[in-house]
This record gives sequence, structure tokens and C-alpha cells, in this order.
Amino acid sequence: MSKLSIKNLHVAVKGKEILHGVDLDVSEGETLALLGPNGHGKSTLLAAIMGNPAYQVTAGTIMLDDQNVLALSPDKRSRAGLFLAMQYPSEIPGLNSADFLKAAMNAHADKPLSLFQFYNSLQKAYEAMGIPFEMSKRNLNEGFSGGEKKRNEMLQMKLLQPKIALLDEIDSGLDVDAMGIVAKAIGDEEARGAGFLVVSHYARLYNMIKPTRAAILINGRIAVSGGIDLIEKVDTQGYEWIKTELGIPVEKENDNAMNSVSIGACATRVAVNNDGK
Amino acid sequence: MTENEVTKTLTYVDEIPASLSLKVPAKTSLKLCLAAFRPLQNTRIDIEVGEGGTFEGVFADFSSSQYTFTLNVYLEGSHSSCDWHLAAIADKNDSKRYDTSVFHKKEESLGLMSNYGIAEGESKLVFAGISEIEKGAKKTHTRQVAKIIVFDPKADGQASPILKIGENDVEASHAAVVGRLSEEHLFYLESRGIDEAMAKRLITLGYLKPIELQFDSEALRQKIDDAIEGGVSHD
Repeated sequence: MSKLSIKNLHVAVKGKEILHGVDLDVSEGETLALLGPNGHGKSTLLAAIMGNPAYQVTAGTIMLDDQNVLALSPDKRSRAGLFLAMQYPSEIPGLNSADFLKAAMNAHADKPLSLFQFYNSLQKAYEAMGIPFEMSKRNLNEGFSGGEKKRNEMLQMKLLQPKIALLDEIDSGLDVDAMGIVAKAIGDEEARGAGFLVVSHYARLYNMIKPTRAAILINGRIAVSGGIDLIEKVDTQGYEWIKTELGIPVEKENDNAMNSVSIGACATRVAVNNDGK
Repeated sequence: MTENEVTKTLTYVDEIPASLSLKVPAKTSLKLCLAAFRPLQNTRIDIEVGEGGTFEGVFADFSSSQYTFTLNVYLEGSHSSCDWHLAAIADKNDSKRYDTSVFHKKEESLGLMSNYGIAEGESKLVFAGISEIEKGAKKTHTRQVAKIIVFDPKADGQASPILKIGENDVEASHAAVVGRLSEEHLFYLESRGIDEAMAKRLITLGYLKPIELQFDSEALRQKIDDAIEGGVSHD
């Protein structure tokens, strides 16, 4: 059984430290709910685990069993069994979804899939996610609605079958039906034995996927970890009790960190998409 | 195009003449298809389009070259048109400059210039050219698009199309964008297990592949496909 193990992790974005020593474990077969106010480092943690180059790990370790994850490029982390469902999946102009999925699946396979194997799994995954198969002909995430992008992330998870999946606000932008579909996809992977690190603000998703543990990230550190009663406590009381009960002052939201990341993406999107209008 | 009496297609693969001067007589169409996979010398093409004539040009340039490509399209007659598409890769020490110009001499002419490129390695890629509307060329429509993605830190891309407008009653626009390859896009693809070289190849394909649709020959399309992939496979 694989285990993702994070110790004393410090992460900076554009020279500003966001995570100040995070300790966290997730094993296959368990689902950890990661809570915390906006701007305290949840997305930063997930991006750093996956190896987003905009996030610099300045100290600490991330291990997947006996593999040093920090020494691996993002594609190798993926092939080692990690998966990140992104909060804002990139739109890639001109890149056909099916071509992309084929490249991703082949990267994970020992030998290239036959056309039959590929289309067979593709069709099943689209059906399971309630996405019309026609969408496989569209460009990757281009013009997809928020909900379609999130379902498309889950579709990729189903096809790549990670050991440990990191889900960054996978429920944002989803209506109730879509949330049911996403929750089922997570449930299926849990049943297969995958481990999950799930970031969400809403108890509704957590109620559907039944986490095994919960942790709260405050000021760039894990302030509390424990049972799933924490989820309900946060849902009903917010984070004020952290200060009163634990004596940890909760810093004000700081979202500067995210802004610096998306500049490149926008620039190319303009370069490729926008006809100068 | 269907209303024109004569439609002619000229295709040059690699053997592009250093100098080419063509006339498109009134009410006829010319399609010029260029594809290059081997080094090119300086090339200059002049096209004169008569009344109601149509010029369509397409150029897939995957050559490893240090050269200037010059295209001048003279829309001599009223209701004449020019529709140009270029897809170019510059790599290693390539230095490629494209001056693609269109001169609107008469009224109600249409000029579209579209240049797309990728600069890799230590190459230099320049998209320039003038779209000029002379006085009296009323109700003319002209548009220049120049877009470059710069893949590597030492590569240089410049897009500077120029509009010169001597008449009021016209529609003219241009778009010039030079952008670096998005790290966020690369990361997204890599986070799915796709290595960097393959990720770049997929992004390039998406950017340059539309040029293939302009070619009728299936064999040539396949060759362009291979060249697009080959263009980024070395790194």
C-alpha cells in the first residue's frame, strides 16, 4: 500500500513563503479532507506536491513510499501514481481532447494502447462522467463551462488510475447532479483502493465521499488534524474557534500568491486565441 | 471563387524560385501553395491581381534557413482579393524574416494576411509587412495577423505589421502578438504524465496544424504533420 508522506514542507511563490512547515500523510485507501480558510496554502500545497514550477520548495521532503517526489519532474510524478485535479484547469488552444488523453494514457502504459483499447476506455469514462462522447473531439477545456472542466478532470483521473489523487476544489462550479457524478467517480476510485487528499469548502461533497480523516491548514501549517467531526465543526462554526480554543491567530486572506501564477497562461491564450479584438 | 472563370493552382515544394512574378487576370483565381522542408535562399514573390480576381496563398515553412521571404500583393483592380496564410517554425540558429505586404489600389478590395510562427532554440523569427490602402480605394477591407510563440529563452520573436491608410471609408485592423510558451499549459500536460518534449509537440500541433487544411494534397498534409512533430522532437 502506497503512502504519500510530507515532512516540514516549506513552499514559496515568487520569493514569498506560503507554507511554513507542513507535515501530512495520505495512504492508499484513505481519504483526507483538507480544510482551511482561503489564502492559507491549500492550493499551494497541492500544486507543490504535483511539481508546479511556479511553486518553489525551499525546505522539507515529499516521499511516495521510498521515492523522493521532489526529485521528479511533474510527468514522472504523474507516472509514479500522483494526480492533481486542478482548481482552474488550463484551456489548451488547438489541442484535441482525445489526442491529449491518448498521449496521457500512453505515457502511463508500458506499451502504446491499441486503438480499440483506447476508444473502449475512453467511451466508458465519458459515459461514467455523464459527458457526451462528442466532447472528446473538442479542444482541451477550450470553451468548457466550469462544471464541464471539473468533470473532465475527473475523467482524466478515471483513465489514469492514480495511487494518490489530489483534488483542488473539485466541487466548485458543479450543480447537484454533477456533484453526484463526481462523488461517484471518487467513490469508485476509493473502492479500487486509491487514496485522496481533498480540498473543499463545502460539507456537501464531504458528506457524499465519506472522508476517513480531516486536517486544517492555517497560516501555512497544519493547525489541527483528527476525525471527520472537524468537517462539521468548520461547516457550522467557521474557523474562529481555532483562535479561541487553540490560541492560533488566523491570518487575513492573502491571495497575492495565486495572481502571479496565471500571467503566463493568459499571455499565451491571448497569443493563440484572441484575434486582437 | 466559383463565379470566376479560371482557377489555377501552383504548388512548389522546396523548389521555390528566388523570384516569382505572377499576374492574376480579371475575374480569375490563383492559388499558390508553398511548402519548404529544406533550406531556402532569399525569395521574393510579386502578385498583381486584376479586377474581381482572387489570390489565395499558403506557405508551410519548416525549412532550416537564414533568409528573408518577401511577398507583395498588388490589388490592382476593384473587387480583387488576397487571402494569405503562413505557418513557420524557426529553430536552432535560423533567422527568418517574412515581409508580407498587400497594396490596395482600387475600391472594394479585400486583403487578409495571416502569419503564425514558433521560435525555438536560438532562432530569430520576424513577421513584418505593410497593409496599405491608397487614396480612392474606398470600402476596402484589410487585416494583418502576426502571432509568434517563443519556446526557448534564447529565441527571439518579433511581430510588427504596419497599416498605412490613405482613405477614410475603409475597414482595417491588425493583430500582433508575441508570447512565451505558457508554463501553466506545459505543467497541465506534464501533470498528466506527458513528458516535456511531447507536451511541446502537442501544443505546437494545435497551433500550426490548421495550416494543413489549406492544402489539398493528402501526401503534403502528412509531410507537414511530420514536420510539425519533427520541429520540436529534438529537445
